[in-house]
Amino acid sequence: MKIAISIYNGNVSNVFDFAPRLMVFEFEGGKEIDRFAILLDRQFLPQRVGELAKHGIDVLICGAISRRLAGMVVASGVGLLPYVTGRVDDVLRAYLVGQLVQPQFRMSGCWSGARKGFGYRRRGCRW
Amino acid sequence: MENEEQNVILNSISEGVFTVDLDWRITSFNRAAEIITGIPYQKAIGKHCKEILRADVCENSCTLRQTMKTGNSIMNKVVHIIDANGKKKAVAISTALLKDSRGSVIGGVETFRDISAIEQLRKEIEGKYSCEDIISQSHKMQNLFAVLPNVAESNITVLIEGESGTGKELFARAIHNMSFRKDKPFVAVNCGALPDSLLESELFGYKSGAFTDAKKDKPGRFALAEGGTIFLDEIGDISLSVQVKLLRVLQEKTYEPVGGVSSVESNVRVITATNKSLEKLIQDGKFRDDLYYRINVMKLELPPLRDRKEDIPLLVDYFISKFNQRHNRNICCVTTEVTATLLAYDFPGNVRELENIIEHCFVLCEGEIIEVKHLPSSVCQALKTEHSYKNEPATIKQMEILLIEQALRRNEYNKSATAKQLGINKSTLFRKIKAFNIKSS
Repeated sequence: MKIAISIYNGNVSNVFDFAPRLMVFEFEGGKEIDRFAILLDRQFLPQRVGELAKHGIDVLICGAISRRLAGMVVASGVGLLPYVTGRVDDVLRAYLVGQLVQPQFRMSGCWSGARKGFGYRRRGCRW
Repeated sequence: MENEEQNVILNSISEGVFTVDLDWRITSFNRAAEIITGIPYQKAIGKHCKEILRADVCENSCTLRQTMKTGNSIMNKVVHIIDANGKKKAVAISTALLKDSRGSVIGGVETFRDISAIEQLRKEIEGKYSCEDIISQSHKMQNLFAVLPNVAESNITVLIEGESGTGKELFARAIHNMSFRKDKPFVAVNCGALPDSLLESELFGYKSGAFTDAKKDKPGRFALAEGGTIFLDEIGDISLSVQVKLLRVLQEKTYEPVGGVSSVESNVRVITATNKSLEKLIQDGKFRDDLYYRINVMKLELPPLRDRKEDIPLLVDYFISKFNQRHNRNICCVTTEVTATLLAYDFPGNVRELENIIEHCFVLCEGEIIEVKHLPSSVCQALKTEHSYKNEPATIKQMEILLIEQALRRNEYNKSATAKQLGINKSTLFRKIKAFNIKSS
């Protein structure tokens, strides 16, 4: 399974539409087997979605996201968990044990239904 | 001045205002800031300002940080934010230092106003479209987006093929605005709209005395586009004689104004577009094959809207937002029946037709939700004609059957692809196929 988190300075980046970088964590049998970065600087919205598809990302964890980009991400088949905030390592650890619902990882102010995530159940991911 | 009085004043102005302490935590947040960001005061106070403002500059070129560092105020910088409703907005921000009575810096103050409507109008007037303005989640368009930046950065001639209303000019402008020529002119010419006798002088200009009434020199479109890009739409409609001259411009980078005796050098990128099959025109002897090979260095084929119906809901939202701003309305959405109707319609006029349909609905809709009765009769009539049910009006169930049948045919009866395109679960699709007795292979 490949989990991507949009990052800036070790934290989940504020807004995926503007995030400069993605960090990808690859897991197999519950163990991390690889991690690598994807640069997103200057990439417009459809290109960002293209990067997710190109690298076979299963789940994207990010901060705020525009509805338009969220629609494109979900349509491409990637599970989306938006409006997350915090240090990347803490967020990843919390996601793996299904504890991302804790208040310290929740960003204030989002549109109805966004916080529940999109498409993640189909892929058996945990929130 | 007492705090209460300050709050009354701040909450009465239309600009968003917030203050931060030295740790970038929000210490005040006025009513206009709540409206523009969509985040209530109680949720904003105490939070890091970048978590609330959500601007494109927050992380790598924060304006407030610059002010705090240099001590200089910044005025009216245009940035983009994502509000709590997931909508991207253009805002103009201004920043200043916040000092106590002793003159010590205790934080910063930022004011901002929503200029989305102005930016949209400016974009329409100046044609400063970019790829961000092309609305699509379709896989076919993703393939085009993937190559666009490289196409833009190169200087190659581009041929854009697509039916009328698919956004050929939008793509051409996006290519120009992503290229190094973006600060130079973009000149569009509809070759099909000009009679042959005028097209040559329009493209290449003329010298005084070239013909009756040519009293002075007039620069052509190539001269006006110098250093920039010229977009030749309906390239299949130009005559063979003009094709020869166009070929020369592409090969030798020179042209001669009508009536001129010397050549003019040209530094213009050429993007062409057509809704016809140029290969067929070559076979019919109406288009030169040498010109075709010159303009066909990079071909971009834009799919018709009926081949990317998954984009219809996104486009509907976009046009509703656009016309809300233009007509100062507050329409929120369309009913599911309208969505079903639009998804079942084939859009011979493509995206332009969809835009016209939504604008038509704006005129008829007096409430906040667009219903089927607001759609043009031609849309509903076309559906009735295509799928007649013994002259009875189409019901929701009938439209649903039609929608599923069309999607299955489009996806060659691949259930996974069909379900994805319709935006429903695969098991839901199977259930509906069984319930409605739809042919599924």
